Amino acid sequence: MDAPPAFCRQLLDVIPRLRRYTRALTFDPAAADDLSQQALERALAHWRQFDPQREMGVWLLSIAHNAHLDTIRRESRVSVTDPADLQRVQDDRQADNSHTPGLRLDLEAALARLPAEQRQPLLLVCVEQLSYAEVAAVMRIPIGTVMSRVCRGRAAMRQFLDGHSQAARPPSVTQLKRVV
Amino acid sequence: MNMDDKNTSGAPAGPISEEMLSAWVDGELNSEARARVQAWLHDHPQDQALVGAWRADREALQQHFQPVLQEPVPPALLAAASRRRDPPRWALAAAAAGLLLTGALVGGGGVWKWQQQRHVEQLALQRQQLAAGSAQGWVQRAAFAHSVYVAEPRHAVEVKAQEEHLSRWLTRRINVPVKLFDLQAQGFELVGGRLLPDGPGKSAQLMYQDAQQRRVTVYLRKPEEGTPAAFRFEQHGPVGMFYWVEEGAGYALVGALPKETLLALSQAIHAQMVPASVGAAASAAQPAAPAASGSR
Repeated sequence: MDAPPAFCRQLLDVIPRLRRYTRALTFDPAAADDLSQQALERALAHWRQFDPQREMGVWLLSIAHNAHLDTIRRESRVSVTDPADLQRVQDDRQADNSHTPGLRLDLEAALARLPAEQRQPLLLVCVEQLSYAEVAAVMRIPIGTVMSRVCRGRAAMRQFLDGHSQAARPPSVTQLKRVV
Repeated sequence: MNMDDKNTSGAPAGPISEEMLSAWVDGELNSEARARVQAWLHDHPQDQALVGAWRADREALQQHFQPVLQEPVPPALLAAASRRRDPPRWALAAAAAGLLLTGALVGGGGVWKWQQQRHVEQLALQRQQLAAGSAQGWVQRAAFAHSVYVAEPRHAVEVKAQEEHLSRWLTRRINVPVKLFDLQAQGFELVGGRLLPDGPGKSAQLMYQDAQQRRVTVYLRKPEEGTPAAFRFEQHGPVGMFYWVEEGAGYALVGALPKETLLALSQAIHAQMVPASVGAAASAAQPAAPAASGSR
């Protein structure tokens, strides 16, 4: 049996939010939409698991989160913080002058340097405005862990933005070549 | 700040851990812990600066990804969400021809369902198009520039207020008369200004600060031809902004302050506006004075 129309409507409503989170996770609009599509397909396939008491947005974010982890695991040699790839993304952005490159890059570059385990909770809290308890449920980690990862993530990001990036830059830059 | 301190359980004595400050920024503490953090911040200006920066970062992150919400959703995603499958060709053909009774029944059902799903998709599209009209790109940029630079304790501006050429320099660069508005009656002093990229053009940002170190920024740019004069208010989390366009200049006043305060500041700026004839644009037409007719 297919998902009921009410479920589909709710799902459609939260697509923009899903796209925002996947974009923040991947920095790459195309990869982000692939991830969003995977999440939507999974949500539809498992619509019976959705508890109507819960918020659809949070449920879908947790599906996207897991899909993202699967992608990372599957393509374990692809790093979302790959500096070479990041440079390409930055070049693309600079060519597109409908944005403000100087401002955007600082923040995205700082974000990209965070390990995924810190970036994810930081984005869920700051961008998606989830509570620590909700993040804990999405990531399946204890609340205390959410608290410390958010803290370490934002402290590191601030350091990058302040220009203390040299010390914290990943040392193995050349090993992170993207292989697709 | 003692970084090694792991006392986050809310014991009454002892220093406040960095994690607790972070949780405070996210509004995750109970009232008792919140009070302790507030007392601590009162006596520790360095930590106060730190949480101020974190708070601004939180805001900046949100602003940064906010525009994604306004983008039209790619059709592939709409299809994925409604699991739209085009009805099988044989069913359509059978329904259209009405040759086979069973074929017509099956095919008709398929078409009906398909149309239902199209309807859901169109609704979603419509909703998005409405949402897209709420904020213009430059307003987002003004908000983002605000979030980035108010967080800078020492490098908030490029040119300090004392330097005489600030106004002349910015006026020349953005091709809009830049006046250094006097907001002292509202308790705000000019910190200085900076030049910013604004899409394909340039914009100027003036920063003001009050006695409690609260900051507001004024974003100025040359508007696109034919942009209608309008006065609007938008709230993005803690940050509110009034923005308006007059002939010759677009203004956005941005700050994490109550709407009334922002309105008072906007009105003060509006009252001091340089007549457009002084600058690049030749018209002196003045739109109606700002009123609290926020769009939200």
